[in-house]
Amino acid sequence: MSNPFNFSAIQPEHLTLAATGYGVVFFSLILLYFIFSIMPKVLDFRLKKQPDPEGHATHGAHHAPTQSGEVNAAIAMALSLYFSELHDQETAILTIKKAAKTYSPWNSKIYNVINFKGAQR
Amino acid sequence: MQGILRFFEYSGFANVTPGHVLMVLIGLLFIYLAIRHEYEPLLLVPIGFGILIGNTPFLENAGLQLGIYEQGSVMNYLYQGVLKGIFPPLIFLGIGAMTDFSTLLSNPKLILLGAAAQIGIFLTYLGALALGFGNPEAASIGIIGGADGPTAIFISSRLAPHLIGSIAIAAYSYMALVPVIQPPIMRLLTTPEERKIRMKPPRAVSKQEKVIFPIAGLLLTGFIAPGSLPLLGMLFFGNLLKESMVTKRLADTARNAMIDSVTIILGLTVGASTQATTFLTPQSILIFVLGALSFMISTAGGILFAKLMNRFLKGENRINPLIGAAGVSAVPDSARVAQTEGLKADPNNHLLMHAMAPNVAGVIGSAVAAGIMLSFLM
Repeated sequence: MSNPFNFSAIQPEHLTLAATGYGVVFFSLILLYFIFSIMPKVLDFRLKKQPDPEGHATHGAHHAPTQSGEVNAAIAMALSLYFSELHDQETAILTIKKAAKTYSPWNSKIYNVINFKGAQR
Repeated sequence: MQGILRFFEYSGFANVTPGHVLMVLIGLLFIYLAIRHEYEPLLLVPIGFGILIGNTPFLENAGLQLGIYEQGSVMNYLYQGVLKGIFPPLIFLGIGAMTDFSTLLSNPKLILLGAAAQIGIFLTYLGALALGFGNPEAASIGIIGGADGPTAIFISSRLAPHLIGSIAIAAYSYMALVPVIQPPIMRLLTTPEERKIRMKPPRAVSKQEKVIFPIAGLLLTGFIAPGSLPLLGMLFFGNLLKESMVTKRLADTARNAMIDSVTIILGLTVGASTQATTFLTPQSILIFVLGALSFMISTAGGILFAKLMNRFLKGENRINPLIGAAGVSAVPDSARVAQTEGLKADPNNHLLMHAMAPNVAGVIGSAVAAGIMLSFLM
């Protein structure tokens, strides 16, 4: 069985394209990585520098520390459970089932037959 | 009598070929996989049904204007959205409006896995050249490795419009088959200890970071690879609609009604474009083989790069290499597969959130790769 691959068809410019292309993909995502690695520090620094209403520079201790995702998830879960227990109308209402059958022309005949004996008395 | 004979000539029974029957069976298989096994049903049902529509035989070139390749037919009009590359950016808009980049922002080093997994695209490009495909065709085939249907359609609409049907079907098939293709590669390339690695929980990401990300991301990737602007421009725009919190209505439309409408038309027309008379060629089979190869190489690339990164990382900063497989941009299926495989190794180790980071980075990476290919080859 002959080899279907003809590697001589790959020219140097094809290799250049592949290598450059992969390199550029890496480069652009490395740049994104770099920017968003320093972004929290830059934003945190800016927040610390923000003056309070009285004009004094605030310190990092005045800001709530960044919570981890797990803590936020736990708080959200607790709130969700709490609010799901609140109802405009309580759910613990007993269902009142109507026992008597209502009159209908469709069942009137059989109704009369059933109650015939009672009517005789 | 002549009228009846003429009617018969026009019917499917007179025009059916073995190719039509084969394609109808493939269409039925797609629908079966979607409904019975829930493999990407949102894609496989429209594509599968489109294959049935495209392969219901009729008398071609009789002026009936029925086939997708016949000028003036309704299907041909709908197909223009694929041929002109209109639908993929709209899909990206919807993806942007539904994607939460928080996990990526909370641990930015995972972006690199999305870059590493694009290796399949470029190696398959070379493989396709060696198999005799031309330069533009090889680039379009390579993109299948990104496991990103819209990107594959977009680039082939620009570089190799005659291969759109095969490339789109291959890309979407492999996206649907992520739970079948990836796990063996993941298990082969990782040790049981590596699969048990626990990663530190992601930190909370501020709104400011989320709003800055699409703007910075667009400017950065757009300046480096302007060819990716139609895709990444829409992706980041959709994400800004979501994260700005002031355009809720627009974000809701983009991620629900709009992406659903486009997916329906895209899936149906791509399916119908597999008309047996034009689709069943040896080239299509080669494209399927190369696509599978590309996808496997990309998966392996992500995993091996995660292992390489672990050489330089210590303690809780280490990465579970299973999430490297999510570097291909099949969102969120690859991330789900990483989660499933992680749970098999350690039932308390949830990797889904971590895996979403390379997964969405893969979307950006494959779009940048497509942009570079376009810049080189257009």
